[in-house]
Amino acid sequence: MSITLDQVTKRYQGVPVVNDVSLDIGDGEFFVLLGPSGSGKSTLLRAIAGLSGVDHGRISLHGRDVTHVAARGRGVGLVFQNYALFRHMTVADNIEFALRVRRVRAGERRKRRQELLRLVALEGMDNRLPAQLSGGQQQRVAVARALAHKPEVLLLDEPFGALDAKIREELRRTIREVQRELRITTVLVTHDQEEAFAMADRIGVMNLGRLLEVGRPHELYTRPATRFVATFLGAANLILARQTKEGIHFGNRAVGARVAAPVHGARDHEVVAVVRPEEIEVAPTREALSSGYMCQGAVDEIVFTGALERMRIRLNGGSESLSLAYSNGDAEPYLEVTRTQHEQRAFQVARGQTVSIGVRRIHVLPTPLSSFTVCAPNEGLGGMLTQQPLLIELATRMKTRISMRIESMLGVPGTVSADGAEFPGTTVIASQPDVAHQAEWLLKRGADEILILPNHATPPQKVLIHWAEEAVRSATLAVSASVLRHVSAEAVYVGIMPDMTPSAQRPHGMRALLDARSEAQAVHGLEMRTELRFGDVAHELSRQLGETPGQMLILGVTEDSRLVERFGALLESARWPVLIVRREHEGGL
Amino acid sequence: MALRQPNVLPGFGLTFGFTTFFLSALVLLPLAALVLMAASMQWSDFLHVVLSPRALGSYRLSFGASFLAAGINLVFGFIIAWTLVRYEFPGRKIIDALIDMPFALPTAVSGIALTTVFAQNGWIGRYLEPLGIQIAYNWIGVTVALTLIGMPFVVRSVQPALLEVQRDLEDAAETLGAGRFYVFHRIILPTVLPALLTGFTLAFARAVGEYGSVIFIAGNLPMKTEITPLLIVIHLEEFDYKGAAALGFVMLVISFVVLLTINLLQAWGRRRHVQSTR
Repeated sequence: MSITLDQVTKRYQGVPVVNDVSLDIGDGEFFVLLGPSGSGKSTLLRAIAGLSGVDHGRISLHGRDVTHVAARGRGVGLVFQNYALFRHMTVADNIEFALRVRRVRAGERRKRRQELLRLVALEGMDNRLPAQLSGGQQQRVAVARALAHKPEVLLLDEPFGALDAKIREELRRTIREVQRELRITTVLVTHDQEEAFAMADRIGVMNLGRLLEVGRPHELYTRPATRFVATFLGAANLILARQTKEGIHFGNRAVGARVAAPVHGARDHEVVAVVRPEEIEVAPTREALSSGYMCQGAVDEIVFTGALERMRIRLNGGSESLSLAYSNGDAEPYLEVTRTQHEQRAFQVARGQTVSIGVRRIHVLPTPLSSFTVCAPNEGLGGMLTQQPLLIELATRMKTRISMRIESMLGVPGTVSADGAEFPGTTVIASQPDVAHQAEWLLKRGADEILILPNHATPPQKVLIHWAEEAVRSATLAVSASVLRHVSAEAVYVGIMPDMTPSAQRPHGMRALLDARSEAQAVHGLEMRTELRFGDVAHELSRQLGETPGQMLILGVTEDSRLVERFGALLESARWPVLIVRREHEGGL
Repeated sequence: MALRQPNVLPGFGLTFGFTTFFLSALVLLPLAALVLMAASMQWSDFLHVVLSPRALGSYRLSFGASFLAAGINLVFGFIIAWTLVRYEFPGRKIIDALIDMPFALPTAVSGIALTTVFAQNGWIGRYLEPLGIQIAYNWIGVTVALTLIGMPFVVRSVQPALLEVQRDLEDAAETLGAGRFYVFHRIILPTVLPALLTGFTLAFARAVGEYGSVIFIAGNLPMKTEITPLLIVIHLEEFDYKGAAALGFVMLVISFVVLLTINLLQAWGRRRHVQSTR
């Protein structure tokens, strides 16, 4: 491996900007770190270059641990967005800088310089000053300068940011050619997904300091694992669907489209389906569709973009309406659609026209968290719950919706739920004295995840993870991974063994801990720390939660976990949010 | 003038007119008067005044101490500017404002304050006295006073230049293998050198013309701690206007030559630098 990152963490004023990132980049690979601004991608690149230290974790280049090696000893070449050329030096001096530092003889320096200028197609520009070059040319000089000392790794920090579209295209090609010719391991940081697709062998998508997914461009586009990647890499319609043994259903209709979905578990559950705008077909009637019928809608907006036509279609309400994951009650549900010229010629549409909508291919996200349903005995409490900062933040970041449901009998033993309905997605209830009874009541009536919110619940800085039985390990890890992708927090798994555990058995505890960590990492891409404690489970957890504010607990339980008896006090303290996970979750993320 | 470009301010003709008028009225005219006054002297009288041992001693002190003070400011002013630009610390704004104090203070006040501190019985002077170090009433005191009043010039000229040295440049140099010292003298120094020289020139010019703060701490012994401006005042007090003008004329010439030399050096340095990189 050329570059190996192992649990790299970097904090600014206590907030992790790079959060537990582990990554292997192969020899000669062109790797793109993609993410919105503030996602930590540039910080990670600077850490690889040695320009900023890390608080935790290790960085190796070609098998050499360089975590504590200064930038000048790392043998990397770095190219900056604003070129960072030495303005008082000529092109020749800029390029030879690294060689002069290394006291290379003049003749050799000249030879290398000429070689590099040819490589970036700037022959004969030796004596110009940077100010006499165009932006594109300056960046070429910067690339040549970064390569002069034959670094083993080339790092590019948004190198095209300051250039206009035409030049950008040209420089992209040059850099890709140079990279192929030299077979140098390269990491490029960008926020531009098109650029990432155009250049990358593999892409790593970052958000909120975490490396969410790594994969080949096509793989990430067609089979994203997370909402963020699905919507950041191209446009996506996120639709709430139901997965049963028979397949995927929108509302009560099975979908007749190609479905890429994770292995289905034993029980029906709500899932998030990704429908790319280009996989949607529009036709004048349901019969004219060549793909599976989805619903009807009215064309609301048509934008001509050259090769493609973009449309927004407002969905008809009523019984056959789709459940868009991100429509938040008040917002009208829209579908994004793109059509090729060819499709446009086959069926011309006008604004306001009602069309039938079909879908050719859908992809189901393996995420266990689909939507939030606030559940309260009355409107007042329910309304207050929907205003909690933590819930709003989670829903916004997950691009999902919060609905409300009144359960007047919530927590009263022997009662049934309103309409006898199920509890799809995550049920949200308020932290109050009998919350443990309410949670148990909900679990008995089919709720899979329950989020208990104290008043003024804010996004956590630290998430404690614990499961009461080994049987819910996978489910808890899956939900934890999903939560941690959307909040900027550190994850800690707390394993707790009874106080009188004989010392001979204690290594088993350690083993379980390490197993948990490797499963989290391998299956869910979740990096977490682990801690082993001895004592009473609920007592240890509440002690640790009480230590500092801003913590959240994710607690895995089964039907035999005796929630009220064992965790009643912990849940009712009303000081920290708790997410209870019950679902048996097979396969996938 | 063929190309008339519209501009926010009135055209070139008008502004150039103002420039020449103000320069003439405020700089050239008084200087001309000075030169005329000196020129009205007999050549022998002129030489007698400007070459007297007392005058020669005062030139040496005035220009030597000014040069030394500007040199000290070059180094320490740079460090102060660096600290203010590069570090974020509590009280930075206050220190930044303190830099300008020597500008605002009447120079006599600075002189009295310095004497209070450095005289044999002053706050610091009393501890230096037993060590055999005397600051007040000799050339060291003069240099200290001139350093104080020249300091803001260096800091204020270097600050904006340092702001322009992007961190990225240093980062780039570091990834290319350069050590700290190399980065400093190959990247940072060349970028701020023009500003440093400007600051030096301003500090020097100011120091040469300084009067108020020096006379309190200098002791004013003829030949030893008497600066040229003081000698001029002494001539004036004796109603020897011509003698004063003669000394002023000499100061003018020396200052002009020094400033011109620095400017030429700077221009030459720039040219040479560009050429050397060919």
